[in-house]
Amino acid sequence: MNLPRILELLQEVLPVARLEVQTMPIDEHSITLPPDNLHAAVRALLERSHVYHLSTITGQDVDGQIELLYHFWEGGGLTLRTSLPREQTSVETITDLIPGASFYEREIAEMLQVTFVGHPNLQRLLLPDDWTGGPPLRYEFTLPDDREEGE
Amino acid sequence: MSNRMTIPIGPQHPLLKEPLSFMITVEGERVVDSTLRLGYVHRGIERLCQTKTYVQNLHLFERVCGICSHVHTTTYCQGVEALLGLEVPPRGLHLRTLLCELERVHSHLLWLGVLGENIGFQTIFMYAWRDREIALDIMEELSGGRVTHSCNVIGGVRIDVGDAQFSSIVSQLNDLEQRVEKLLDVIQHERTLRVRTQGIGYLSPEKIRNYCVVGPVARASGVDVDLRRDCKYAAYGWLHVNVALAHEGDVWARTMVRAREAIESLRLCRQLLVGLPEGPTQVRAPRRVPPGEVVSRAEAPRGELLYYIRSDGSDKPARVKIRTPTLTSLITVHDQLEGVETADVSVVLSGIDLCIACADR
Amino acid sequence: MTDLLDALTKLLLFPGFAFLFACAMLFAWIDRRVIARLQGRVGPPWFQPLADWIKLMAKEDILPTGTNGWVCAALPVLSLAAVLTASIYIPVGGWIAQAFEGDLIVVLFLLSLPPLAYFLGGWATGGVYSVIGGNRSLLQYFSYEVPFLMALCSPAILAGSWSIAEIAARQSETIWGVLVQPLGFILALVGLIGKLKRVPFDIPKAKSEIVAGPLTEFSGRKLALWHLSIEVKTVVGIFLLVNAFLGGSGVSGLLPAPITFAIKSLLVLLILSVASVLYARLRIDQLANLGWRVLAPLALLQITVTVWIGVA
Repeated sequence: MNLPRILELLQEVLPVARLEVQTMPIDEHSITLPPDNLHAAVRALLERSHVYHLSTITGQDVDGQIELLYHFWEGGGLTLRTSLPREQTSVETITDLIPGASFYEREIAEMLQVTFVGHPNLQRLLLPDDWTGGPPLRYEFTLPDDREEGE
Repeated sequence: MSNRMTIPIGPQHPLLKEPLSFMITVEGERVVDSTLRLGYVHRGIERLCQTKTYVQNLHLFERVCGICSHVHTTTYCQGVEALLGLEVPPRGLHLRTLLCELERVHSHLLWLGVLGENIGFQTIFMYAWRDREIALDIMEELSGGRVTHSCNVIGGVRIDVGDAQFSSIVSQLNDLEQRVEKLLDVIQHERTLRVRTQGIGYLSPEKIRNYCVVGPVARASGVDVDLRRDCKYAAYGWLHVNVALAHEGDVWARTMVRAREAIESLRLCRQLLVGLPEGPTQVRAPRRVPPGEVVSRAEAPRGELLYYIRSDGSDKPARVKIRTPTLTSLITVHDQLEGVETADVSVVLSGIDLCIACADR
Repeated sequence: MTDLLDALTKLLLFPGFAFLFACAMLFAWIDRRVIARLQGRVGPPWFQPLADWIKLMAKEDILPTGTNGWVCAALPVLSLAAVLTASIYIPVGGWIAQAFEGDLIVVLFLLSLPPLAYFLGGWATGGVYSVIGGNRSLLQYFSYEVPFLMALCSPAILAGSWSIAEIAARQSETIWGVLVQPLGFILALVGLIGKLKRVPFDIPKAKSEIVAGPLTEFSGRKLALWHLSIEVKTVVGIFLLVNAFLGGSGVSGLLPAPITFAIKSLLVLLILSVASVLYARLRIDQLANLGWRVLAPLALLQITVTVWIGVA
C-alpha cells in the first residue's frame, strides 16, 4: 500500500490543512478526519486508488466522544478515524459507495446510538427487538452483574 | 390469487446448525425475496470482555466460535503481543500455525459434510466427518481438547511436541491426506453433486468487491486475497502458501476451493512439523498492557478475521472489536437467493459456510 | 366356517397383516444396516425399526388447531389399508390369497392411493412445509407414475395375462422377465424408488428444505401408521417387482420356493439400498425433466418392442 500516494490523494480532496497520521501495530496507518469529510475521503479512496476493501467499522466511546474507525486493507492496513460529539452522533452513510458497510453501520447504530444518514435499512442487527437497555457500548451502560442494588 | 408463500428458515430448522432467521418469500418454486435476522446467539462478548482481564479474555474469545476457536485466540494474542512489544519464539509460532492449519482442515471437512447432508447426499457427510475425526484426534493429542484447545497464551503457546507425538502425528497426517484426496476425487466426479451445485449462488467479482466479501467465497469468484500469503502473520513468513482460486463463482467453485485448501493445509502442517525449530514456546507476558491500539488480522477458515484492541494502560482492555468473516458472506445471501428454486436455498446457504456464533458474537 | 377361518388366517397372519408387518420391520432393518455399512458406520440392531415403531405409537399425538382431526386420522389408515389390500393379490413364495384375471391393474390402482393420501395429508394439516411437500409429492407422482405403469405393463403383454400370479408362473416356466426386458426392469426400479420416496427422489420430504414435507405436523400414532404404510409399501413394491420381472417364486430345482423368493426380494432391496447411498437428492424440476424426457419415452420404447416381438 502506497501511503504517501494516498495521503497526497486525500490532501487534494479534503479541505483540511494537514492530515494527522499515526502508525499502529500491526502494519496499520491511521488518518484522523472530521466527520463531514469522511464520505468524500472514502469516495476518493475508491475512485482514485487501489483501496476498496473495507474490513469493518469500529465504534467506541472514548474521551467523551464517539469515535468511528473505518478499517481498510490493501496490502497493509489503513484506518480512517473520525470523532463525533456525544450529543449529536450522526454521520453520512457510506453504503452508497460500499454496500458491504450496511451491516457494520447497523451494528454501530444499535450499540452506540449513531445515526447514519441515508442508510437504507437501519433496523436492529444483533440486539433483540424488545431491548430497552440503551446502547450497550456507551460508557453509561452497565452490565447487570455490575449494577448496584436498586439500580 | 397471489401464489406467494413465506417459508421460515429458522430459527429452528434442520438446515441450520445454529439459530438464524431467514424469511424466504416464494412464488411457486422460485424465491422472490428474503429477509435476514441475526442476533439469536448474540452474547455481548464485546461488552463483556471490557470487564475481564486480558488473560480471562483468552477463555472468552475462544468461545466466540466452536469451529474456529484457535484462530480467534491467535488473532487476539497477536494483537496483545504487539501492544506489549513481545516477540514470540519461533517454535511457539510454528505450533500456533500448526493448530491454525489443522483447524482449517477440520473446518472444511465439517463444511463438506454439511453441504452433502443439505443436498441429500448423506454418504459424503458420513465420509467427511469420519475423516475429520483424524484431524480432531491430532488436535487432541497436541492440546488435550478436540474442539476448544486453549493452546494460545499471551506470549506464545502452552503446548509442546515430543518425539513420540511427532511420529504419531506425521503418520496420522499422511493417512488424512490420502483420505481427503480420495474425497476430492469423489466430489469431482460425482454427477448429482455437480448438477445440484453448479450455477447456483453466482457472485461476480464486482459484487465481491462491493460487499467486501472475504475467504473462500471471494477466492471462488477469482478475487485473489489470502492473508496467509499477503500478511505473513505467525509462522507464515517461513512458508509458501499456494492459494486455491476458481473463477466460476458458484457453489461448485466454492466446494473445489475449500477442498483444495484442505489438501494444501495438510501439506503446510507437515512442513511446519518437519521444520519445527528448537527453543522455548512462550515468553512471559506482563499483566498490564501499555496504552495503545492495534489492528490484528488473520485468515480464519472462512476468511479475514479482524481484532481491533485498544488498551488504556490497565489490565483490562478498553475496547475489543471483532469482525468475523461470516458476516460478509451473510450480506450477499439476499443477492444470491434471487430467482433460485426453493430446493436450491439449502445449497446457497450451505455454500457460504455459515458460522452464526461468529457472526453474532 | 372353515372358509371364514381360512380367510381370516390369510388376511391377518399369512400372507396378511402379521407377515407383512414382520417383513416390513425386517426389510427396514436390512435397508438401514446396508446403508450404514456402505457409509462406514455400524448400523442399528435388528429390533430397531420395531422399537422405533412401538415408541412412536406411545408418543403424544397432537395436531395444529383448525385441522380436521377425523381426516388426519383417516389418511394414514387409508394409506396402510391400500397397501395391505394390494398385497392380497401378490404371490409370496408360492402362496397367494386371491388371484383373478386383471388383478395387476387393481394392485397398481391400490398402490397409487398412498401418494394421494400423502398429498392430502399435507394439505389437511396446513402449514408451509406441509403444503409445499404436498405440491412436490404430486409433481413427483406425475413424473414417475407413467413410466412405472408402462414398465409393469410389459411383462403382462409378454405373458399374455393381467394376473400377477399368472405372469410369475409363466416367467418361472420359460424365462425371467429381467433377461428379456432389462429396460423394463430398470424403469420399474426407478419408478419404485420414486414411489417409495427414497434418495435420489426423496424430494417431498427433503429434510434440509421442508423439514418433513406433508408429514411435518403428524406425530404419535398417526405418524407411526404413516411410517408403517411406507415400510409395508416397500415390501409390497419389492414383491411386485420380483413377481413381474424375476419369475416370482418359481421353483428353480435347487432351493424350495420360499427361499428363492426371499433371495430375490433381498436382491431387489439391496439394489434400492445401494441406490440410496450413491446419489444426492434431485430437484423437483430435474426429476420432472428426467421423468418425461427420459423415462417415459424409454418405457414407450419398451412396450413397443414387446408388442412387436409378440406380434412377430
